[in-house]
Amino acid sequence: MFTSRTTGLMLVLPAVVFITVGFLAPVLILLAQSLRLEDGWGIGNYLAFMNDGLGREVFWRTIKLAALVTLAAAVIGYVAAWAIVETRPERRGVLVGMVILPLMISPVARTYAWLVILGRTGFLNVLITNLGLSEEPLRLLFTETAVFIGLLQLFLPLMIISLVSALENLPRDVVPAAQTLGAGWIATFFKVILPLTREGLVIGGTLVFTGSVTAYITPAVLGGSKVLMLETLLYQRVSVANDFASASVIAAILMVTTLAANRLLRRLATPRRR
Amino acid sequence: MSSRMGGLMLALVFLFLIGPFLIIIAAGMSAGETLAFPPQGLSLRWFWAVFEVESFRASFVLSIGLAVGATLLALVLGVPVAYALARYPLPGGEAMSTLLTSPVIVPAIIVGLALLRYVVIPLDLGIIPALFVAHTALLVPYAVRVVSASLANLRSDIEEAAVLLGANRLQAFFLTVLPNIRNGILAAFILGFVTSFNQVPVSLFLTGPGVSTLPIQMLWYMEFTYDPSIAALSALLALMSMAIVLVAERFLGLSRYV
Amino acid sequence: MSDAAFLDLAGLSLGYDGRPAVEALDLSIKEGELVALLGPSGCGKTTTMRAVAGLLQPMGGRITLGGRDITRVPANRRNIGLVFQSYALFPHLSVFENVAFGLRRQRTPKDEIERRVAEAVAMVGLTGFEKRLPKELSGGQQQRVALARAVVVRPRLLLLDEPLSNLDARLRLEMRTELRRLQRELGITMVYVTHDQEEALALADRIVVMRDGKIEQMGPPEAIYETPATDFVARFVGFENVFQVKDGQLRAGNGAALPLQAPVDGGTAWLAWRPHAVELGQGPYEGQVLGTSYLGQSVEYLIESTVGPIKAEAPAALPRHEAGRTVAFGLPPATAAAIPR
Repeated sequence: MFTSRTTGLMLVLPAVVFITVGFLAPVLILLAQSLRLEDGWGIGNYLAFMNDGLGREVFWRTIKLAALVTLAAAVIGYVAAWAIVETRPERRGVLVGMVILPLMISPVARTYAWLVILGRTGFLNVLITNLGLSEEPLRLLFTETAVFIGLLQLFLPLMIISLVSALENLPRDVVPAAQTLGAGWIATFFKVILPLTREGLVIGGTLVFTGSVTAYITPAVLGGSKVLMLETLLYQRVSVANDFASASVIAAILMVTTLAANRLLRRLATPRRR
Repeated sequence: MSSRMGGLMLALVFLFLIGPFLIIIAAGMSAGETLAFPPQGLSLRWFWAVFEVESFRASFVLSIGLAVGATLLALVLGVPVAYALARYPLPGGEAMSTLLTSPVIVPAIIVGLALLRYVVIPLDLGIIPALFVAHTALLVPYAVRVVSASLANLRSDIEEAAVLLGANRLQAFFLTVLPNIRNGILAAFILGFVTSFNQVPVSLFLTGPGVSTLPIQMLWYMEFTYDPSIAALSALLALMSMAIVLVAERFLGLSRYV
Repeated sequence: MSDAAFLDLAGLSLGYDGRPAVEALDLSIKEGELVALLGPSGCGKTTTMRAVAGLLQPMGGRITLGGRDITRVPANRRNIGLVFQSYALFPHLSVFENVAFGLRRQRTPKDEIERRVAEAVAMVGLTGFEKRLPKELSGGQQQRVALARAVVVRPRLLLLDEPLSNLDARLRLEMRTELRRLQRELGITMVYVTHDQEEALALADRIVVMRDGKIEQMGPPEAIYETPATDFVARFVGFENVFQVKDGQLRAGNGAALPLQAPVDGGTAWLAWRPHAVELGQGPYEGQVLGTSYLGQSVEYLIESTVGPIKAEAPAALPRHEAGRTVAFGLPPATAAAIPR
C-alpha cells in the first residue's frame, strides 16, 4: 500500500499539469517561434540578430559582464567565505545571516541604492567634487562599470554562501597539513582548497553567471539604453519596436546561454579521475 | 591570512553588501525636493509621501495579494509533489523532477513574454490571473525543494503507525506528517512570498496601465521622477524584508532552507 | 488457549516490485500464543509481519484472523497493533497524545480515553511522564510508550518488529521480562520478529525459523534448541561445529573429511556439536590451538583442524591449552545433534 505508483502519480499530477500548461508549453512555443520565418522555418532570425551590430554587441557585452562579475564574485567570495569560516561557530551563523539578508531585499531597492551613490548629485560625485579631484561631476551612471558593480552586489551573496558551505565541509586540518609540508598560501589555495571546494565554486558560479546573464533590473536602472544587456534589449524590442521575431530570438539565446552555462559548469564540477 | 586581515576584508565586503542600504535610508530622510546624498536637511516627509501616492498603494496591495496567493497555490501544488518524491517510486522520476523544477532554469522574462503571447492574448485572460499563473509556476520549485528538505528528516513509519491505529491515509498525513513539516512549509511560504513580492522580469510583460506590481511601479516612477520618494520606499521595503527575515530566522532557522 | 488457528497464513507469497521475498508460506498461530519469527536479515520475517499488518499487499495467498479473511482488509481496519523497531512515536505529540491516538480514531468518549490512557501508561510504568515529548524520553521509555500505544486499543493481535534491538543489554533483559508479563496479563496473541535466538528462546511459546522466505523449522524453543531440523537452524541456534555425514565420514565444507568416531544411524545427514560438546584434550583427532577466549565460567578455544576451524569450550577450572600448541579432540556422535536431512 505504501508503494502504489498510481497514488504517487496522483500527487504530482496537479503540479505537472499546471507547470506544463501555465509555463512549459507557452515557453516552448515561444522558443520554437524563433525558428519561424515569413516563409517556413529556419535560423534566419538568428542570423539577422547576429548580423545586426547592436544584437552582437549586446550579446557579447552580456557574456563579458556576466563572466567578469562571476570572476570577481569568486575572488571576493573565497576571501569572505574563508574569513567567515575562520570565526567561531556562534558568530558564523550571524555572519551567514548578514550575507543572506540582502538576498531577501527587493532588487529594485538594492539597485536604486547605486543610483543614489553613482548619480550626478550622488554620494561619490559629491565626495569627488568636494575633495577637488574633479571640477565637474563624473559620469558614473549608465556605464558598464555601474552595471558591473550593481550585478556584483546583487549576486555576491550567492557565491559567498556556496563557498561557506564548501569550506565548512573541507576536511579538518588539510590546510595546516599542506603548510607544514611547505606549501605557501598560493600553492595551498590552488593545490588543496580549490580542488576540494570546486563543487561549491561551480554551484555559486552557475548562480552568479546565469543570474547576471538574465538580469533585468540592474542594466535597466544602471545601464539604461546606453549599456543594454540581453534582457533590456528584449524588453525594448517588444515594448518599443513590437518586434516579436527578434524578441523570440533573444529569448532563445538567453535560454541556451543559461542551459549551456549550467551544463558546462556542472561538467567542471565533477573531478576527472587521473 | 591572519585573522585580523580576514576581519578587515570581511568588513569591506559587508560595507559593499549592506552599506548601500544605509545610504538609501539616509537619502530617503532628506528634506529636499531632489535626490541627493548627503541629504539636504533631515525629515521623514518622503516616508509619509510614499503612502499618499495612489499608484504605490494600489500596486503594493496587488503585490502583497499576488505574493500570498501565488505562494499558497504553489504550496498546494508543491507539498504533494515533495511528499510523493519522498515516499513513492515515481514513474519517470528523473524526467518528472526536471519538468517540475524547470521554472527555475528558464529566465523569468521569457516566461512573462511567453504567457503574454500564447496565453493572455489568445485566451483574453486578465492581467491579474496571468500574473498569478506566472508567479505560481515560478514558486512551485521552491516549495518542492524546501518542503522536501524538511520531509527528508521525517521517518515514514510514523504514518504506518497512524494507519495501524485506525487512521486512513489522509488522516495519517494531516495528523502525523503535516504537523512535523510545519516549519518547512512556513519557511517555504516566507521564501515564496519574498521571491514573488520582489519579482520583476516575470511581471514585466504582464502588467499594464493601472495594474502593476510594486517593483514595476517603482521602476516606472524612477524613470520619470528624481525625488527621494523611491529612496524612502526602498528603505521601507528593505526594513520590511529585514523584519521578515529576522523573525523567520529566529523562529524557523530560515537560513537552513535557502 | 483454544486449539483452532487464530491467525492463519495460507500459501502467502510476498515481494516488493515483483521480486519475491516470501514464497508460499503456511503458518498457523493459536489464540494467546506468543510466536517468534526468527531468522537472519533478509529471511522474510519482517516482510511477513508487514503483510499481516496490512502494510504490504500479498502477491498471492490468504491471511485469516479469527476466522475472517482479512487479506483485502485495509491496514487501518484490521485492529492489529505493531511495535516498530524505531518505535515510530509521533514526534510532535506528548506521551499522552501518542497513546491516545488510536482511541481518538475510534471516537472513544473523552473520559474513557483519559482512563484507558492512564491505565496503559501505568501498565508500562510511565505514570507522570504523560506530558513529555518523545525526544525528552530515553530509548527504553520510548519503547514503553510504543508498547502502551499499541496495546491501549486492545488489538486482536500484537506484532513486534525487533522491539528490543535498539536498547542496551541490561534494558533488553528487563524489557524481555516485562513483555512476557504483559503478554500473560493481557492474554494477547503476539508475533515477535527477531534475529536474536536468545531473545526468541526466552520469550516465545513457539519459534518459527525462517530462511530465504521459507520456514526452515517450527516448534517450541526446546525443540529448536536441542533438535534442529536442518544444518541452517543448527548453526543459527549455536551449534558452531556442523558437518555433513557421508560414507562413515565427517565432511567439511572445504571437502576434507575425518572418519567418524563411532557409528551413527543410517538416516543421519548432518551432525552438529555445540562448543561444550566437543571433547578437548582427548579423542582421535588433532588440531592446533589458534586462540583462546576466557568467558568466566569457561574458556573457548578456536582449533585449526583438517576439517577447518573447530570451536570448543571447556570449564575454566581445567588446565588451559596454550595458543599454538597441538591438542587432541573428539567429536563423539553421542553428544551431537543428529539432523536427518
